[in-house]
Amino acid sequence: MRRRFLLAAPALLATPAGAAEDQLTRLMHALAAVPSRRAVFTEQRSLPELDVPLSAEGTLAWTAPTTLEKHTTTPFEERIAVTGGRLLYERPDRGISQEISLDEQPEIQALVEAIRGTLAGDLAALRRHYRVAFQGQAESDWRMILLPLASRLREAVQRVLLSGQGATVTGVDTEGNGNVTHMRIRPV
Amino acid sequence: MRRLLLVLLGLALAGGLLAWRVPPRTDLAGFLPAGRTPATTFLLRELQSGAATTLLLAGIEGAPRAELARLSRETAAGLRASGRFVFVGDGSLGLSEEEQAFLFRYRYLLSPETTPEAFTAAALRPKLEALLDGLRSAASPLLARFAFADPTGAFLGLAREWLGENRIRTIDGAWFAPGETRALLVARGQGAGLDSAAQGEAIHAFRAAFAAAHPGEARLLLSGPGVFAAAAAAQIRHDVELITLASAALLAGFLYWRFRSLRLLGLVAVPLGAATVAGYAAAAAAFGSVHAIALGFGMTMLGVTVDYPILLLTLRRRDERLSDAARRIWPRLALAAVAAASGLLAMLGSGLPGLVQLGVFAGAGLLTAACVTRWVLPWLAPDGAGGAARPLPGWVSRPLAALSGRRRWALGAAVLALLVLGATGGPGWQRDLAALSPVPAAAQALDAELRGQLGAPDVRSLFVIGPATEDEVLRRSEALGAAIRPLRERGLLSGLDLPSRYLPSPGLQQRRAASLPAPAPLAAAMHAAAEGLPFRPTAFAPFLAAVEESRHLPPLDAAGFAQGAPTLAARLSPLLGRHGSEVWGIAPAQGVSDPQSLEDAAAGLPDSLGVTFLDVKLETERLLAGYVTATLRWALAGGVLVVGLLVAGLRSLRTGIGVAAPILGAILAVLAVLAVTGQAISLFHLAALLLLAGLAIDYSLFLAISGRDRGSRPGMQRAGTSRSSEDDRPGAVLTCAMSTLLTFGLLALCDTPVLRGIGTTVAAGVTAAFLLASALAAPGEPERG
Repeated sequence: MRRRFLLAAPALLATPAGAAEDQLTRLMHALAAVPSRRAVFTEQRSLPELDVPLSAEGTLAWTAPTTLEKHTTTPFEERIAVTGGRLLYERPDRGISQEISLDEQPEIQALVEAIRGTLAGDLAALRRHYRVAFQGQAESDWRMILLPLASRLREAVQRVLLSGQGATVTGVDTEGNGNVTHMRIRPV
Repeated sequence: MRRLLLVLLGLALAGGLLAWRVPPRTDLAGFLPAGRTPATTFLLRELQSGAATTLLLAGIEGAPRAELARLSRETAAGLRASGRFVFVGDGSLGLSEEEQAFLFRYRYLLSPETTPEAFTAAALRPKLEALLDGLRSAASPLLARFAFADPTGAFLGLAREWLGENRIRTIDGAWFAPGETRALLVARGQGAGLDSAAQGEAIHAFRAAFAAAHPGEARLLLSGPGVFAAAAAAQIRHDVELITLASAALLAGFLYWRFRSLRLLGLVAVPLGAATVAGYAAAAAAFGSVHAIALGFGMTMLGVTVDYPILLLTLRRRDERLSDAARRIWPRLALAAVAAASGLLAMLGSGLPGLVQLGVFAGAGLLTAACVTRWVLPWLAPDGAGGAARPLPGWVSRPLAALSGRRRWALGAAVLALLVLGATGGPGWQRDLAALSPVPAAAQALDAELRGQLGAPDVRSLFVIGPATEDEVLRRSEALGAAIRPLRERGLLSGLDLPSRYLPSPGLQQRRAASLPAPAPLAAAMHAAAEGLPFRPTAFAPFLAAVEESRHLPPLDAAGFAQGAPTLAARLSPLLGRHGSEVWGIAPAQGVSDPQSLEDAAAGLPDSLGVTFLDVKLETERLLAGYVTATLRWALAGGVLVVGLLVAGLRSLRTGIGVAAPILGAILAVLAVLAVTGQAISLFHLAALLLLAGLAIDYSLFLAISGRDRGSRPGMQRAGTSRSSEDDRPGAVLTCAMSTLLTFGLLALCDTPVLRGIGTTVAAGVTAAFLLASALAAPGEPERG
C-alpha cells in the first residue's frame, strides 16, 4: 500500500519510513501545542454527475481537546459543531437542528476524527480509523494521507489528504467514488 | 404385617409406574386459562408460545464502562456465531451490506411514497433541487452513495421509518441504560416459545457467550419469557419437592410421637397412598397429563385423608374389631368424605384448567381414601394398630377441656371476625393475573426495568388481525392503518406497529409496481425536472434502470423478506403469528393511556376490517372475573349441597346447622385474617376456603356428634369402653388438625404465590375451625340431649 501510494505521489520526496515516522511524530507535537485556532475556508466539490463544481465558504474553529466547529456561510448557512462524542448539526433555513452521537455513526465519526485527530496532534486517534502516511518536513511543507480502515467508510471515502505548513493546516482533500472535495484553509 | 407391607409396596410401584408413564408437567401452558373467543385464545396461546416468548433481554453490569461495552460486543458476536438466534441487538445495529442491497432493490415496492404522481416532472423537480442542496451540505459524501439511483429518497425514507425509532444511548458500539452502568443486549431465539428445551438451550448459549468474553467481575442479568418459564418451573419443582418431602417427614414424626407405632404409620399411609395414586390416575385419564402444581397442591389436600385412618384407629373401642369400628363410624366418615368432595365442586365448576385438574385429583383421592379406610384397613389390621394414642400432655388437654362448651366464646369470636370484616371492608379481590404468577417478584421487576431501558415495553393493547392467509392479513393490516387514523387524532393511541409497515401486501406491491412509469416517459419527466440544474444527462441512469427493474419485480412475501432482510424480518416475525395454515397479524398499540376508551372506540371500527381489539390486562381481568363468578356460584351450590347432605345424613335440621356453624365461623375468621394481613383474595384462596370447609366438617362431625351419639343411643355402648374412647375424641380430632396444620403450614412457606396463599388460608382456617368446633361441641351436650 505504502509503495503504491509513493508511486502515486512522485512529486514529493520519498522519505525513508523511519524518518517519516519521526517527522510525523514531530508534526503531531507541533500541532498539539496549538490550543485553539480560527480560520476561514473555501470548499470546491466536484461530482462526476454534475457539470459544475459546487463551492462553499465559511469559518472553522478549533478548541483543544475536542471541540471543532465548521460554520458554512455560503451558499447557505450550515453549522456542524462537535464536542466529545456529540455532533450538533444545524441548518437554520430549513429549521433543522439535530444532535447525533458519533458512536452511532461510525462513518461520520471517522471523518470527524481525520480533522480533529490532526488538530489535536493525536496520532493514536488517527490510526484507529486510518492508515497514515506522511511526506515532507514537519517544520515546512507536509502532506498526510489517510486511508480508511473500515470497509463501510471506504465505500464512501477512499482517501483523505491533509496538507500544511508547520503547525498550520492549509488543506483537506476528501476523495470518494470520483467525488473530490478540496478545502483550502487560511488562518485568521 | 406382611399384608400391609405388600399393599404399601404395591402402591409405591403403582405410583412410580404412573409418574414414569405420565410425568408431571412444570410448564405453565396447561395450567393457565384458554380464551373465551378465538381471538383471546390466539392471544393467550401467542403470549405463552408465540415469537415474543423467545425474546431474551440482558443487562451487563459491575465493570467500568469501556469493559461493559467490550463484553457486550463480544457476547453479541458470540451469540451471532452460535447460530441459535434469529436476531441479536447490541448497539451495533444496522443493516448488513447484503440486506441493504436487497432492500434497495425492492425500495419502490416497499416504499409508501411510490405513487403515479411521484414520478411526474412536477414532483421530481423539488426532489432534484433538494438533492442538489444536500450535495452542497455536509451530508454530501453519504448522500452521493445512493442519491443518483434514488433521487426521490425512497430508500432513505424506508431506513428512517424502520430504524429511526431507536433511542437507546450507544457508547463504543454497545447500548447503555441511563446512568451508563449497565450495557444492554437483546436477542431472539429460534423455534417456538413453548419448546422449553430450545429455550433452555438459548439461555445456556447466552450464558456461554458471556462467559467466553471473560467477564471477570461483571455480571450478566438475563430476563425474558424463556427465563421466566425456566425460573417458574424450577421454583414449582422446588416447592413441590419441599412440600412433599418435608410434610411427609413432619407428619410421620408427629404421628409417631402421638402413637409410638410404626405399624400405625404404615396403616395411615395406605389410604393416603391409595388416594394419591387414584387422584393422579384420574387426573391423568381426564386431562392427559398432570400439572406439577396440581400434583403438589393435590397431594397436600389429600394429606387430609390421614384424618380418616386416624379417626378410625383412635375411635375404635377396646376389644372392638376394626371392621366393627369401621362399620360403626362409616356413616359419619362417608358423610365427611362426601361433604368434603362436594366442597370441591366449585373447583370443577370454575372452568380454570388448573383448578379443574386439582378438583378431579382431590375429589377422586378423597373418596378413594374413605373407601380404603372403610374396607381395606380392617382387612389389613383386624385388631387395630396395637397401641392407643398417648394421652395428651396436660398443657394441651387442660385448655381444651376449658374451651369445651364455651358457646359464648365461639359466638364472640364470630362476632369479632364480623366486626373486623366490617371495619376493614373485607379482603380485596385479586384481579391481576401477574400476582398469581410463580415467577419471583424480583425477576418480574428486573424484567420490567430491562424492558423499559430497551424501549421494548410488554405488549398490552393490540389489534389481532385474522386468521386468514398471509396476503389477506397484510391487506387488512393496511386497511387498519387507514381506519385507525381518526383514533390517533383523538389521542387514544400514538402509534400502531403494523405488520404491513415492514411488508406491504402483495396487492399493494403490485399496484405500486404497476404505477411506475415506463422508461421513455420517466426519462422525459427527469429531463424536464432537471431543466436548468447542473446535473449531467447521464447522472440519473442508475435511477432509470432501477425503476424499470422494479416494474417487473414479483412482490415479496414474508418468506422472501426473511431470506433477504433478516434484521427487519426479526421485527416482522413477532407481528405475524402462524398456527398450521392459519396466519394471524398482531399490531401492538403505542402510547395508550386509557385502554378502556380505546376499546370502546375500536368497537366502532367497521366489522369488514376483520380485526379485533384486545387489551391484555382488561381481557385477563375479565377472564379472571368470569372464573371468580363461576367459582362463587359453584361454591354456593357446593355449600348448599354440603348443608343438605349434613341435614339429610344426620336426619336433623338443627344438628346439621349445628355442625355447619363452626365451618361458617372458620370461614369468617379466615376472611378476617386475610383482611388484616392485607392479602387479596384470588381464585386459589377461594378454592382453599372450600378445602377448609371440607376439613372443618370432619372436626365438627366427630367432635359435636359423638357426644350426641352417646346420649341418644346409650344402648349401643358399654359404659367403660365408651368412656375411654370418648376421652380420646378431642385428642383424635386434635391429631387430625395438627396433621393438617403441619402440611398447610409448610405451604405457607412456599415461594409460589398460589401455594403460599392456600397455605395461609387453610392453616388459619384449620386453627379456627378446630377451636370453634371444640368450643361448640360440648361435654354438656349429652345432658341436654
